[in-house]
Amino acid sequence: MNTEISIEMPTPHSNKEQQEPKGKQTEQEKYFMASQWQLIRRKLMHHKLAIISFVILGVLYFGAVFAPFLAPKGLEEYSGSYSDAPPTKIHLYHKGKWIGPFVYRYKVDRDAFENKIFTEDRKSSYAIRFFTHGKKYKLLGMIQTNIHLFGVEDPNPKADEDPPQILLFGADSLGRDLFSRTLLGSQVSLTVPLLGTAISFVLAIIIGGISGYYGGIIDTIIQRIIEVLSSFPTIPLWMALSAAIPAGVPVTTVYILITIIMSLLSWPGMARTVRGKFLSLKKTDYVMAARLAGVSNANIIRKHLVPGFMSYLIVNLTLGIPNMILGETSMSFLGLGMRAPATSWGVLLQECQNIGNIANCPWKLIPLIYVGVTVLAFNFLGDGLRDAADPYK
Amino acid sequence: MDETILEIKDLNMVFSSGKSKVHAVDNVSFRIKQGETVGIVGESGCGKTTLGRCIVLAYKATSGQVLYHAADGKKYNIQAISKQKLRSIRKEIQMIFQDPYSSLDPRMTVFDIISEPLRANYKKIPKNEMEYRVQDVAKKVGLNPSYLKRYPHAFSGGQRQRIGIARALILYPRVIICDEPVSALDVSVQSQVINLLMDLQKNMNLTYLFISHDLSVVEHISDQVGVMYLGQIVEYASTDLLFHNPCHPYTEALLSAIPLADPDTPMDHIPLKGEIPNPSNLPSGCFFHTRCPYCQERCIRERTSLIRLDDGRLVSCHFAGKLPLHGIQAKVPR
Amino acid sequence: MTSNAKTVLDIKNLNIDIHLEEGVLTPVRGVNLELQENETLGLVGESGCGKSLTCKAILGINSQNCKTTGQIFYTGKNGERKDLQRMPYGGKAIRAIRGKEISMIFQEPMSAFSPLFTVGHQLQEIVLLHVTKDKRAAKDLIIKSMNRVGIANPEKRYQQYPHEFSGGMLQRALICMGLACSPRILIADEPTTALDVTIQAQILDLLSELQRTSGMSILYITHDLGTVAQLCDRVAVMYLGKIVETASVQEIFHNPIHPYTIGLMGSIHKIGGTKDRLFSIKGSVPLAMNLKNRCSFYDRCIYRKTNPCNGPEPGLTPVTENHYAACYLPQTSLKEVN
Repeated sequence: MNTEISIEMPTPHSNKEQQEPKGKQTEQEKYFMASQWQLIRRKLMHHKLAIISFVILGVLYFGAVFAPFLAPKGLEEYSGSYSDAPPTKIHLYHKGKWIGPFVYRYKVDRDAFENKIFTEDRKSSYAIRFFTHGKKYKLLGMIQTNIHLFGVEDPNPKADEDPPQILLFGADSLGRDLFSRTLLGSQVSLTVPLLGTAISFVLAIIIGGISGYYGGIIDTIIQRIIEVLSSFPTIPLWMALSAAIPAGVPVTTVYILITIIMSLLSWPGMARTVRGKFLSLKKTDYVMAARLAGVSNANIIRKHLVPGFMSYLIVNLTLGIPNMILGETSMSFLGLGMRAPATSWGVLLQECQNIGNIANCPWKLIPLIYVGVTVLAFNFLGDGLRDAADPYK
Repeated sequence: MDETILEIKDLNMVFSSGKSKVHAVDNVSFRIKQGETVGIVGESGCGKTTLGRCIVLAYKATSGQVLYHAADGKKYNIQAISKQKLRSIRKEIQMIFQDPYSSLDPRMTVFDIISEPLRANYKKIPKNEMEYRVQDVAKKVGLNPSYLKRYPHAFSGGQRQRIGIARALILYPRVIICDEPVSALDVSVQSQVINLLMDLQKNMNLTYLFISHDLSVVEHISDQVGVMYLGQIVEYASTDLLFHNPCHPYTEALLSAIPLADPDTPMDHIPLKGEIPNPSNLPSGCFFHTRCPYCQERCIRERTSLIRLDDGRLVSCHFAGKLPLHGIQAKVPR
Repeated sequence: MTSNAKTVLDIKNLNIDIHLEEGVLTPVRGVNLELQENETLGLVGESGCGKSLTCKAILGINSQNCKTTGQIFYTGKNGERKDLQRMPYGGKAIRAIRGKEISMIFQEPMSAFSPLFTVGHQLQEIVLLHVTKDKRAAKDLIIKSMNRVGIANPEKRYQQYPHEFSGGMLQRALICMGLACSPRILIADEPTTALDVTIQAQILDLLSELQRTSGMSILYITHDLGTVAQLCDRVAVMYLGKIVETASVQEIFHNPIHPYTIGLMGSIHKIGGTKDRLFSIKGSVPLAMNLKNRCSFYDRCIYRKTNPCNGPEPGLTPVTENHYAACYLPQTSLKEVN
């Protein structure tokens, strides 16, 4: 007796109806065929703060990549008379007449306490020009050029006077343009964390993966090592490690060593995440099903386990970057990170160790805003990613 | 048809963590004939899931044998088998899982999920043959082949369970271990899946080990039923015999507790005393004596073992056949 | 129901909307439900039919993104009729009713207790809130109540933590908490689903006995028709946010009218019955979103006719006395299917 009678009664009418909401169907079909990453992107798109943060970070990284071009000055270009100069004002009207954006030259006086007083010398104006010629540099490390996005030029320079300058963020105590240095410093400050997390990412996957997959005694040993590593207080350890970098090593080596130090201290946390996810995914029914189907261990790891925790790991990475930025900044601030001639935001902030400096030249704190904005942006982005990371809930 | 396909002999599975040992499967022996469905019922923690997983070698049993009579006519002990041999035998014994949500990788398309066993076992399978086989098996389980490109999140529980069944069928297995395949589904969908499983059994000559806590589902689908309590099989008999004429007090108590979907036959269940004992601290004698309404002095002292009665059933009770036990039909005319 | 039975709970045109990014979910659409004094009403449906949301709406414990409209009249002991739906969310008025007049027990007894406090402490809390401020009196009351729900050795159990209880015992403790203030209505949301058969039977026994002795009303929510047949006086079947059929338990099981109810009845296997294929309702429950104005069961119905079934959605109408169904083509018997 077949009780499942007339399962399909396709009257022409019902067929027509099924095709009716065509636009909706395709939208739904798209959702049904969306992979994990597409679902994550969909969800992330609804997280406004994360998107804004992503755009901000994009701008910051764009600035870092094209820093030598965007900065009017080179890293070490200085002019003695402009030391501790405040940000220059950008004017549009010269003697009541509109002549486009320009700056005045600074006149330097000293008050009774020998403090410098900068006043604008309103005699002659210096127009801000685009694509000016300045210090030579290699764009993207390849194209040799001396064109900068903007700058001011003195049409008839005098030998005894420093040329007029545009100092968007003012100048430091050696008369170097802080804006240029902030941009150029971001090349270090923004890449060290990225490279550092990349290294810890690889370490975390390998070590955490081994720990989670094999379990047993290997797992125990690795976990104990991780516990020991994460029990060290970070700042003193950083200081000890970076103090061990000898004085005469080239800038690139310092950069790499700093990056390695940073990543050495951040992988244990990530390795734990990997291990935890590994363990929980290993117990899922679908992994069991794959094993019963005869899928090899390597393929189970590759096809099921790694994709399973990748999204969580990326969240962790994103949320780990701010720590690295802060770490690098604090190390450099203490004079243990990047060394001259290289610069990072932390190095720039070194001048703020002197309270008098902050009182007289508050613009020297501007790199701090950059640090704050970057850290917040990464945190918000990580937050959005975390909400989107598991689209199957 | 009377051939044995799977023989479980003295299977033991002990989980130990620290000092406490849990005897999840305790000396279980039974055999399954080809083409039949053996139901295993019991309450949570009785070891029925562990038993199923030992049979597919998801767990290595502590001791005992799982003899599989393979298609090539030879007998293999799945619990002690070489790796290469295991690969070929795994194709013949597959499993369907309880939770249709956690048993499908959400990151793979339905096609990839169903074809995964194929790709794992036949490295050089041509693409079109693979597609043909996946579509074929999808049709068999009632999945629209145009859905194969979708991801699992597009499907409801019942459809997901069909995907899981398709994955189990793609290698043309001979035995399927069904671990509570319908308990996570809605009532109306349950019957769809049960019908499907029964149809597939008929068409593909499958043998099922059907693990469930739902006695009415087991009664419907099984030819033989084993009742488990604290890791042991306390009664093993053909379905009609077991449901209408139980010989173990625990079976009787279980049957009496089924809420019949009939307001005119009120449930008249036999209340069991106390609770299921802690499996890491088992009682003396018959494991059931702490709750048995017919318990006598002998039950507290003496262990029981499965004995065969005249009607062919196996019972683990000192007073098997001597107790006035009631089955299901005894309730109806009251 | 006899005509002089008093209605303790009267739900009128309850609607719940949930606004999601994908659209508006309408899990409960115009539910009308009456609960009489001293009766057990079974609310039956599959997952997603809105039965749990309906019951949580009574106590106002749905999350705040559920937009609820309609009226829920509760008649108190003194005969005063109050609209629970108009009480402010989480306000004093509704809190005075929760636990005291209407209490609820849940599916997962394990997650209903905090592992950090003793069971006694947690049971006592509700009594201290509603009945007495005296701790010793509260403890006495709880221990009496524990005795009533069949928790052996209540003095000792009182001191124990939830992990020392088994699932069945914990469900008893939860029922004890629900009963501590002698409520007039007990809402039981799938109280036996997480339990084993033998324990389930015990809990069902307990519920029906408590109902007999205390005269309270029980609103029993489940998807399991077996337990409904054993426990309930009257049954309401829910599908896709609507009550599609309501009648006495005998009527529902012997003369189901709505095709959905007929399908549900047909799809459960009866022990000792034939071993043929089970009847099954085709397809699966659709998502309660963008529903058309027609019978919500239309797509899955085997009796449907384009006219009138594709017309506006049918409302609950009396078919025989005290037997209501929302169907244009009420079916007369189950036998036509099998």
